[in-house]
Amino acid sequence: MFYLRYLRSELLRRRVRTALTVTGLALGVALVITISGLSRGLDRAQKTALNPLAGIGTDLTVTRGVQQDTGGFAPGGGGGFRDVIQSNQSVLTDLSKLGKPGAHFVHDFFLPGTQLTFPASQGATVSKLAGVAASAQGLLLIAEHQEGTVPKIVAQFKQAAQTFRIRRRITPLTAAEQQSLQACLAKHGVTFGAAPQQQGQGGGFRRGGGGRRFDRGAFQQCLPARLRTFITTFRTPQQTLRQVLDPPQTNIKTTPYTIGGVDQTQPDIGLVTRKQVTSGRYFTSGGEEALVATTYAAKEKLKVGSALNLNGTVFHVVGLVSPPLGGQTADVYLPLKQLQALAHQTGAANVILVRADKSSSVKQVKSEIAQRLPGAQVATAQDVADRVTGSLVDAAGLSHNLGLVLEIVVALAAFLLAALLTLSSVGKRVRELGTLKAIGWTQRLVVRQVVGESVAQGVLGAVAGVVLGILAAVLVGAFGPTLTASSSTGSADNLLGAAAVRTAHETLTLKAPLSVTIILLGLVLALAGGLLAGAAGGLRAARLRPAEALRRVE
Amino acid sequence: MSETLFELRGVSRNYRRGDSVVHAVDGIDLTVGAGEFIALEGPSGSGKSTLLQLLGALDRPDGGEIFFEGRPLHTLGDGALAELRLNAFGFVFQQFNLIQTLTALENVEAALAPHGLRGASLHARAHNLLDEVGLAARETHLPVHLSGGEQQRVAIARALANEPRVILADEPTGNLDSKTGSDVVDLLAGLGERHGTTIVVATHDAALAARAPRRVAMRDGSIIEAVPA
Repeated sequence: MFYLRYLRSELLRRRVRTALTVTGLALGVALVITISGLSRGLDRAQKTALNPLAGIGTDLTVTRGVQQDTGGFAPGGGGGFRDVIQSNQSVLTDLSKLGKPGAHFVHDFFLPGTQLTFPASQGATVSKLAGVAASAQGLLLIAEHQEGTVPKIVAQFKQAAQTFRIRRRITPLTAAEQQSLQACLAKHGVTFGAAPQQQGQGGGFRRGGGGRRFDRGAFQQCLPARLRTFITTFRTPQQTLRQVLDPPQTNIKTTPYTIGGVDQTQPDIGLVTRKQVTSGRYFTSGGEEALVATTYAAKEKLKVGSALNLNGTVFHVVGLVSPPLGGQTADVYLPLKQLQALAHQTGAANVILVRADKSSSVKQVKSEIAQRLPGAQVATAQDVADRVTGSLVDAAGLSHNLGLVLEIVVALAAFLLAALLTLSSVGKRVRELGTLKAIGWTQRLVVRQVVGESVAQGVLGAVAGVVLGILAAVLVGAFGPTLTASSSTGSADNLLGAAAVRTAHETLTLKAPLSVTIILLGLVLALAGGLLAGAAGGLRAARLRPAEALRRVE
Repeated sequence: MSETLFELRGVSRNYRRGDSVVHAVDGIDLTVGAGEFIALEGPSGSGKSTLLQLLGALDRPDGGEIFFEGRPLHTLGDGALAELRLNAFGFVFQQFNLIQTLTALENVEAALAPHGLRGASLHARAHNLLDEVGLAARETHLPVHLSGGEQQRVAIARALANEPRVILADEPTGNLDSKTGSDVVDLLAGLGERHGTTIVVATHDAALAARAPRRVAMRDGSIIEAVPA
């Protein structure tokens, strides 16, 4: 058909103009496809990261947080700061209970942080409420892992030398003792004259008569016993020694982490569910088993089969889990009863996870719980999602706020470019179009030809744009930036400092998944761009008066 | 005199040029009979091209009346004028006005296509027309590869495509050397005789004008002399 050959000739022989128009449309379409793909990718990432409760089969979470006022579903009311302090006192390290000095010790302290505990019976109250399809309890604690050597504490005292001087009068010999002495001396050949005299003088002790030398050995043997050995008792006054000791050297290292107690009898609702297991398996009934969050496992080099020694009880890691952001997340999960026993929190929980029987019941259940359990903090999926922050949320927000605007701007820019190029082309072909009118082409035929050329360029632009868009989406998938989402639970009150806040992070690689709809959108946009440009050009061509067109100097 | 084809009564056409008004055609009365070969002669700006466009339904007069075969061109709508251009008129321009992206053959087909011809019949008819002007051998060439004379022959073949009752030629030899220009004039005159087509040529070339049996001299938008009167 002549008109198609004419169209083809125009496109082929005016290559630069055609290439410019097609490129403009193609870039516009490719950008729209890429932005749509990115937006879709962000939406998907958001659904993963920002709808955390859905992943754990939960619509609502119930906790007991710190409140300034009193009252609430605490044991005996309360819920104020005093309770927080009391609940977290067990973190004090008693060195005397860690073992013998020099021994290596490992000890874990389990604290509720600012998420106070309550009796498990409260969970039963919630499960019986109308509109509740299922509920499970959990115990989420902050753990302080301490490891090191029990220090030796040695005290050394120095005391100066002491001299005791004793002066005591000796009781004279009794008559009996004198007789006994004389008899004994006589037996040894020593006789008494007058009173005992010095040797060589008259009188005194003599052996065998006068002139005998003093016999010292006989005298020693004959003395009464009380004069032979001095026996006495001293008593020193009581005194107190006081010395300040230097602190002992120690290598105790404290590492905080979070630990969750899971009701493993309900594997589809809880702090972590079967769905979150990324490798290994979920809990089986009984046994010392643990699940570890993938991020914590990577940090601590743990894997399925690793052992965790918690205060002497060895737990085996049976699975790695990827808990959802914003939920009640922990680094390590144990069966609820095991954790209760370890943490001396028998029968206690600090979170109730609730699933409503239908989505429309959520609001009513929330209100009912708040009424039954005064002071309870009841969070819906939206509340939890609102706590998620990070570049993913920023990018998603940007996508929501600017994505559509950007797509429209890009599409309009592409349309405008195509329309301007077409108008420019028509402007340069005024004499040609005037000649066509002169040789009998009706206005309709001229406009149809111009529009036809634009539409053909639109088709080419659409094909090129879709190919470019797909290529861009593939490149984004291969080299896309990573986005992070973070969520903090617990409270940052100064009572416990940062340790009371649990922050979970999730890193996602941005992808730009395409769909048939997006590709069709690109095609339609390019065709619309071609039509729009053709309409603009056709309108200009239609307005041309043949005589004026022929007078135009090109 | 033969049957009247055109009848012009007090026709005028003005243009604005800045603040002033140019009277390109100023109250012309003229009658053209069927089969005539008329030369509108005069210097540039005398109004001959404007008068040619008014005759060919490419423009409308600001005043006066123009009748073609009794139909008032001054009051007909765009569609009717386009229909007349399609079926009754053939145009030849000084600049040839060929479509540069189309071959010689396709340029002729461009004038035949609106008549509903397509495929082989379209091709054959265009080929025959080019053959008639002696350019059948060059039919696949683009205008840029043809000489000025060849391009004008293609333009004449295109003008003949609708078997027009009138051929309106505006300075057809203006861009040609004298020999080629003379050949083109011979071609036009011969075709007019063979087909009984009325030919109106606007030219400032006195030699070309001398070839026409009837000459109308113009100055400042008015007819100053008509030979024969």
